[in-house]
Amino acid sequence: MEKVLIAGISGGQGRLVAHRLLDEYVLCGVDRHAWEGRPQGIALHRVDLLKRQFEDVLRTEKPKAVVHLGFVRHFRGVEAERHETNVRGTQLLLEHCVKYGVEQLVVVSSGYVYGAFAENPFYIHEDHPLSGSRSYPEIRDLVEVDTLASSFIWKEPGVRTAVLRPVSVLGTQVHSLSREILSQRRVPVVMGFDPMMQFIHEQDVAEAVALALDRGLQGAFNVTGPGAVPISVAIRECGSTPVPIPELLMRPLFNRLFRAGLIPWPAGVLDFMKYPVTLDGSRFEEESGFRPLFSLGEIFAAMREGKDP
Amino acid sequence: MNAVLSVASWAGSALHSAASAVADLTGAALPLATRDLLERVDERLAAVPAQLNEYGFDPWGLRPASLRHAAIPILLMYERYFRVETEGIESVPQGRALLIANHAGQLPFDAVMIGCAMLMEAEPPRIVRGMTEYWVSELPFASVWAARGGGVAGTPLTCREMLEAGESVLAFPEGVRGMSKLYAERYQLQRFGTGFMRLALETRTPIVPVAVVGSEEQQPGLANAKPLARLLRLPAFPITPTFPWLGPLGLFPLPVKYHIYFGAPMQFQGSANEDDAAIERRVEQVRTAITGLLERGRRERAGVFR
Repeated sequence: MEKVLIAGISGGQGRLVAHRLLDEYVLCGVDRHAWEGRPQGIALHRVDLLKRQFEDVLRTEKPKAVVHLGFVRHFRGVEAERHETNVRGTQLLLEHCVKYGVEQLVVVSSGYVYGAFAENPFYIHEDHPLSGSRSYPEIRDLVEVDTLASSFIWKEPGVRTAVLRPVSVLGTQVHSLSREILSQRRVPVVMGFDPMMQFIHEQDVAEAVALALDRGLQGAFNVTGPGAVPISVAIRECGSTPVPIPELLMRPLFNRLFRAGLIPWPAGVLDFMKYPVTLDGSRFEEESGFRPLFSLGEIFAAMREGKDP
Repeated sequence: MNAVLSVASWAGSALHSAASAVADLTGAALPLATRDLLERVDERLAAVPAQLNEYGFDPWGLRPASLRHAAIPILLMYERYFRVETEGIESVPQGRALLIANHAGQLPFDAVMIGCAMLMEAEPPRIVRGMTEYWVSELPFASVWAARGGGVAGTPLTCREMLEAGESVLAFPEGVRGMSKLYAERYQLQRFGTGFMRLALETRTPIVPVAVVGSEEQQPGLANAKPLARLLRLPAFPITPTFPWLGPLGLFPLPVKYHIYFGAPMQFQGSANEDDAAIERRVEQVRTAITGLLERGRRERAGVFR
């Protein structure tokens, strides 16, 4: 069995990916955080991607493939540290992959790197510009990460690299922004706007990672779930209540509350509540044979019950 | 934060229940004739070939069930106010089609009436997809209504996907130039954009020339106050006999009579990547077809209001 290293293995999505890959690969993982009760046989190295020890792990473990999930996606910490972890961490990881002969790399980016704009076409393809930071400066590190990884595809063809850009991930374990927002009992929305949103179940994301490894995919891929509904429908189906607030009030309110540390999301998320950001996932489906296993109903039910359907 | 949300949520639900109470009242008080209209709309909507998910939405945010709510005022406008008469609607192809029409009247009642005609009179009934300007997506409420009724921000990519999915798409190549044209310029087609022709060639979609007679007199533009429009970030600021003097209500159309002519479908051959001159020649053919239908319509009608 081949060895796969998972960066960010202790996070919600990392654990799901580990469980999914457990039977097919020898697994090791790196994370700053512990994972108590992890399945037997998974070697966990508690190191920082930015530190020298991370390179040592790659040198000694000699994985054949790497799955990169080691990102900070929340906004609770210091912005500069988050940026450093995400961007510099990714850059080091890419360099180590080349240096230690990793043959395959899967980077789990995100669909919001394209950004939310009025002029967005529906069902964006992978060659669409990554303009996310234009209206949402707080995620510029994640856009940079995607750009680094996407150019790595061409720069280092010796490492088969797949960059996955899943739509909003929901479930019971993943720590995604969309889950955080839809877990609120009352969800503030921009009054008079109700864009279509796509969702995917966290286990389907793990499945997509497994397929990308299995097929040795190379390229950037949108990963879409079972379909799209307006955000208000999603909020209600998740058992919450949308609370429309006029944008004129909401934007300054969000800015102030975010800076004061009272809410975990910057005002940039508001554009995702105004304009549709929908992705075309046909390329990934064609190349990997991926079909989402969870329907919209099952995804929302999981959110409602706080446990898997 | 939570207190703010509770108050807002309370206000929201109060508004919502007030709205549904009004809806119930009107439902109970609906005259029989209007209920009749609703039944006809339901029948037509049920026969529309649409790809809806389990929540009743199509991939672009259309929701036929929402159209039902808007149907009564629209149908009353269609049958009683504008007294729309159509000709040639049976020639609209069954599958994908690009409907290209003249645009006028300050507010897009022409689009709504073409949509209503396609729903109530075409076979099978169709919900035409409108290509809206980007700024429509920036408007609160209007952006949602447009989407639920079948509109999308008019990007070439989205239009291509809709055509490939077999939708019928309505476009006004005159754009805002047409909608805000002055009374003195009525029925003079403004410059046509060429994007629609490239899309038609690329997707091998038949083009149906559509002429709307009546809309160009519905709200006679005397001037377009462009500096004011720029200041207010509006696409145009029309000065008409009633606007802005009567406030927003001043944009309500006069009771003109609408005649909508659907011309024979035009199938163009060639590559979407040809140079502008070659594309413009084909665009000109469509423009000529619409001009011909407009002239015929103006000749044949008894008057602007009847």
